[in-house]
Amino acid sequence: MPKLASRRVVLQFVATAAVFTAVVGPAVAADPAQIVQRTAQQVIEIVKTKTGADRQAAILGVLQANFDMPAMARVALGTHWNTATEQERARFLKAVATAEAKAYSERFGQYGGQTLTIGKVTPRTNGAIIVDSRLNQTSGQPIKLEWEVRGDRITDVKVEGVSMVMTRRSDFNSYIQNHGGKVEPLVSELEARAAR
Amino acid sequence: MIGVTRAFAASIRRSMVAVALAGTVLGGCASGDTGAAEVWDPLETPNRFIFSINRAVDVMALRPLAVMYRDLVPERAQTGVRNVLDNLGEPVTAINEVFQGDPNRAATTMARFLVNSTIGVAGIFDVASSFGLERTKEDFGKTIGLWAGVEPENGGFYLMLPAYGPSNARDGTGLMMDYLVDPFRILTFNLAVDWDVWQIGRYGMNAVDYRSRTIFALDDLEKNSVDYYAALRSAYTQNRADQIREKREKTNARSELERRDNLALVR
Repeated sequence: MPKLASRRVVLQFVATAAVFTAVVGPAVAADPAQIVQRTAQQVIEIVKTKTGADRQAAILGVLQANFDMPAMARVALGTHWNTATEQERARFLKAVATAEAKAYSERFGQYGGQTLTIGKVTPRTNGAIIVDSRLNQTSGQPIKLEWEVRGDRITDVKVEGVSMVMTRRSDFNSYIQNHGGKVEPLVSELEARAAR
Repeated sequence: MIGVTRAFAASIRRSMVAVALAGTVLGGCASGDTGAAEVWDPLETPNRFIFSINRAVDVMALRPLAVMYRDLVPERAQTGVRNVLDNLGEPVTAINEVFQGDPNRAATTMARFLVNSTIGVAGIFDVASSFGLERTKEDFGKTIGLWAGVEPENGGFYLMLPAYGPSNARDGTGLMMDYLVDPFRILTFNLAVDWDVWQIGRYGMNAVDYRSRTIFALDDLEKNSVDYYAALRSAYTQNRADQIREKREKTNARSELERRDNLALVR
């Protein structure tokens, strides 16, 4: 009997803890400005210390931890997502993640002393929160970066008004249209590029 | 030689007028908002053709020139060249700021122009900025976009201009307007100096300078896209829309403040 009671206490404790983390946890972690700041710091740290394949793997880790990669890839594929098979979708998600990690790890080259200044945070009616920021360079004008955050994940980055997801969407859609309206050639192309 | 270039320039001017007229007529018919994802591109086939020629010229001539300019010319010389070119562009910016309903900003731009042309030795040194007169860059495409009652992503049909690059009905019209009102173009023409030499020199330097500053962004876009033409079309449209939206928000904020001032006066 006491054993049962103690088990009940443990269960209660676990349940409370689960509810607590479900309600309070994300609210604490979901300060959008903090998510952006943390992501930028992680990327700068990686660019400073790692190169080559190490860097790409580390960047992929940051992307998967802080970005909602599946949602971004789905939006980028647009209406073609619905016509793709389960297997194509899985391959597509994987290829896009690799491509982005590769792009980011090559983009920065060597760390050039850039810093990120977070600006104002504006909630949008569609549930997204926009975090304005400026990437300060050692020479020349700062670059305008806007981050779209939903929940505790980043869902888009705009560089001087150019959205990463929208540009990919336009790019992918055009490629699909020029290849018989099928997703398969795009997935193969992305996989071939990832392997390069 | 001069006769040939002049005839060439005249034919370019004629064709630009035709393009601009077509732009205003057809741009008005643009139905709905094109949005950034699907840019309205009815001329895609000829546009892609011109794009492939532009890229060939870019790969063979312009990009290598821009890379050499970026890497070999001392940074201070590059800044000087950029300042001179920017200074020559100030009157056009001021004219646009008047059309954008911002005469105060236009006055600041003209003050910049006068200070830099004199104390700044023909614009080589941007002394006006150190006086607190910040530089702005406006063009007629933005002016049209500011007043047009459509989403700024909708600039009419997309247009790939030979040598110049991505544009659309709105910005193509704007480009021609800027060319027509440019006092330096009119001045060199009226003084009957070898204006074509000056103009070609200026536009040539502008092209190399601008290309040298876009090497990184364009290389990145090309490398990371499966359809470079479509990616550039989207990026161009979004970037211009962002500039126009910024302009509109600023105007709205100011008009809102003015409205409140007027209310205060009434009370």
